[in-house]
Amino acid sequence: MPTSWLVLIVLALAAVGYVLGRQRALSGAGGDNRKLHSLPSYYGSNVAMKVAVPALIALAAWLILQPLAVETTIRADLAEEAERSERPISLVMSDVRRVANGLDTAIERGVITRERAANMRTEFTDVRERLAEAGVALGSAVNSNVLEAAQRYRGFSAIGDIARTSFVLLLAVGGFLYALRESTPDFRARNTVETGVRYLLITAACIAILTTIGIILSLVFNTIEFFRVYPATEFFFSTTWSPSFGGGSELGILPLLWGTFYISLIALLVAVPIGLFAAVYLSEYASKKVRGVAKPAIEILAGIPTIVYGLFALLTVGPLLLSVFGDGGLGWMRAGTAVMTAGLVMGIMLIPFVSSLSDDIINAVPQSMRDGSYGLGATKSETIKQVILPAALPGIVGAILLAASRAIGETMIVVLGAGAAARISGNPFEAMTTVTAKIVSQLTGDADFQSPEALVAFALGMTLFVITLGLNVFALYIVRKYREQYE
Amino acid sequence: MYDTPFRAERDVSAKDTKIAAREVQVYYGDTHAIKDVSVDILDKTVTAFIGPSGCGKSTFLRCINRMNDTIDIARIEGLIEIDGEDIYDRRVDPVQLRAKVGMVFQKPNPFPKSIYDNVAYGPKIHGLAKNKAELDEIVEKALRRGAIWDEVKDRLDAPGTGLSGGQQQRLCIARAVATEPEVLLMDEPCSALDPIATGQVEELIDELRQDYSVVIVTHSMQQAARVSQKTAFFHLGNLVEYGDTDKIFTNPQDSRTESYITGRIG
Repeated sequence: MPTSWLVLIVLALAAVGYVLGRQRALSGAGGDNRKLHSLPSYYGSNVAMKVAVPALIALAAWLILQPLAVETTIRADLAEEAERSERPISLVMSDVRRVANGLDTAIERGVITRERAANMRTEFTDVRERLAEAGVALGSAVNSNVLEAAQRYRGFSAIGDIARTSFVLLLAVGGFLYALRESTPDFRARNTVETGVRYLLITAACIAILTTIGIILSLVFNTIEFFRVYPATEFFFSTTWSPSFGGGSELGILPLLWGTFYISLIALLVAVPIGLFAAVYLSEYASKKVRGVAKPAIEILAGIPTIVYGLFALLTVGPLLLSVFGDGGLGWMRAGTAVMTAGLVMGIMLIPFVSSLSDDIINAVPQSMRDGSYGLGATKSETIKQVILPAALPGIVGAILLAASRAIGETMIVVLGAGAAARISGNPFEAMTTVTAKIVSQLTGDADFQSPEALVAFALGMTLFVITLGLNVFALYIVRKYREQYE
Repeated sequence: MYDTPFRAERDVSAKDTKIAAREVQVYYGDTHAIKDVSVDILDKTVTAFIGPSGCGKSTFLRCINRMNDTIDIARIEGLIEIDGEDIYDRRVDPVQLRAKVGMVFQKPNPFPKSIYDNVAYGPKIHGLAKNKAELDEIVEKALRRGAIWDEVKDRLDAPGTGLSGGQQQRLCIARAVATEPEVLLMDEPCSALDPIATGQVEELIDELRQDYSVVIVTHSMQQAARVSQKTAFFHLGNLVEYGDTDKIFTNPQDSRTESYITGRIG
């Protein structure tokens, strides 16, 4: 039975359980709501919960574990085949899987019968050709070992499927009967449902946390793998970045870090003053009406996809800068793609981050501070400069650091605006590149995934992650530490 | 009830008028918050504004140093003169006016700066000190006037926000005094303080009377009776009665004043 049917059956049973549980509780109380411990809908929800939750969890677990179990069983037999064909066992395994799936498709299309698929022999049939008739393309001819393994794979899977269906249905029905028996007027259905809700929320939180941990672990393991094939000291201290997929690459992170740092610096030099001044204007000077229009307008900037900014850099800002600083003008710039181009555009992108966060922070400075300052005969700008900004400073620093970590992690603007040359240079009109842009280029090629040229992407990602994490933690620390100053 | 440690002197004869208000109207949008208030506030005198919440006493106080200018929807009509000069005249710079008319707020609001910088703030922006030594002198004098010097002289670099509530309020008074104002406006300066701190601040107010005209808004009738020589009773935006404190509390002319003082309205 297909999984989707199974899920539907369980859900239908849960719906029936809801109605029946509600009815049973009500009839137990003689139709009088007030004699029940909880509202009738809680009894219904309790039954529905006990039908659906265990069954669906079991189904999910089974779906994950069954292929693993089947593969472990088959894998043992494939060691010999792997040795014979001198291929890694994982490749043989994927062949087996492909043939097994091919047979499934062929049966579905009616090209071969079920029995035929189970008894097929390479000595008598060209499996590759038969599967091709069914529209399944295989890379190489299928040998007997692989075919047998595939047939066993299908056998195990079929048994597993039947066992899964019956187990899940049994669990659902069991839960149904158990919960229905519980539904007496004295049963505390409300509390049980409440507990269920709590676990639902805990699960949601855990999924978010576990995903983060998973991402970090995958970064860590691949980084370790990279340092096994490439010396860490070279990676961290070499000033040359020249990957060549034929081998003999030099993968020093320094030019990339320099590019990242330089572009982010220019971006912040643009974004911080403009964003901050905009925030001061909006929160202190602008009338309600202007603020109502201007604040959303600035925040629209934050909603523009970065690839659009990238296009803007490539097509507008780059040529514009080139016409001023290029050969026709000052002669400092050779092409439109440069640190300056990417930095300026990234700065524009960051303005709403700085302004919006700073605006909130400035607004959070109590009115009594302003009153106190005005009461002493200070002007508006004196008040802002000497009272409000110092009071809001920790928050503003936090906003700037958050913007910095955005800048460091930005990719598309750099790819389109800054060029691809990894170099360390002080000239902002030269093309440079960043860590993120290089991660993209290292992984979008045809590289073998085990080569240092591909694995370096993880080490780069890890470095970037550590830097931005550090910045974020530092930003939060500063914001928290000085938060209660004016309370 | 907290007992008075001192009794304010009641002699108010032969004092000049410092602030003269004539037919002052204040509107917040469509609300008519102050109606037709005319009052003469004397120099070197503590004047108390009393009245139930929302009666307009704070609003009127904020008219005297034009703090209502910072509220967009507030509109003020009528005449307010300090030393015979119309403070709502076009030529008057509200910023300069506020240096002359200091204000202390309901909740202590020291800036998130050091104690020293809190007090030096006003003198610095008005350029009252020629050099650091002079500034030090001004700060010390102000802190002494605020009756807080002995408590903070060893930690002038500590943040002003770290002081206790009563100390913070006296710091705010010192801060207001540091700019050498002629009038000191106090908007319920003791409502956030405990009785002991209240006593200290009240004592301070009585001392300040020697140099300034002090106007204090208060909800506590006992406090008005203790610290002021003149009392004005506001009700629903009207100035109901204004006169010597003794008279207002012992022999009020208006029935509303009597009701409020005896606790029947408010």
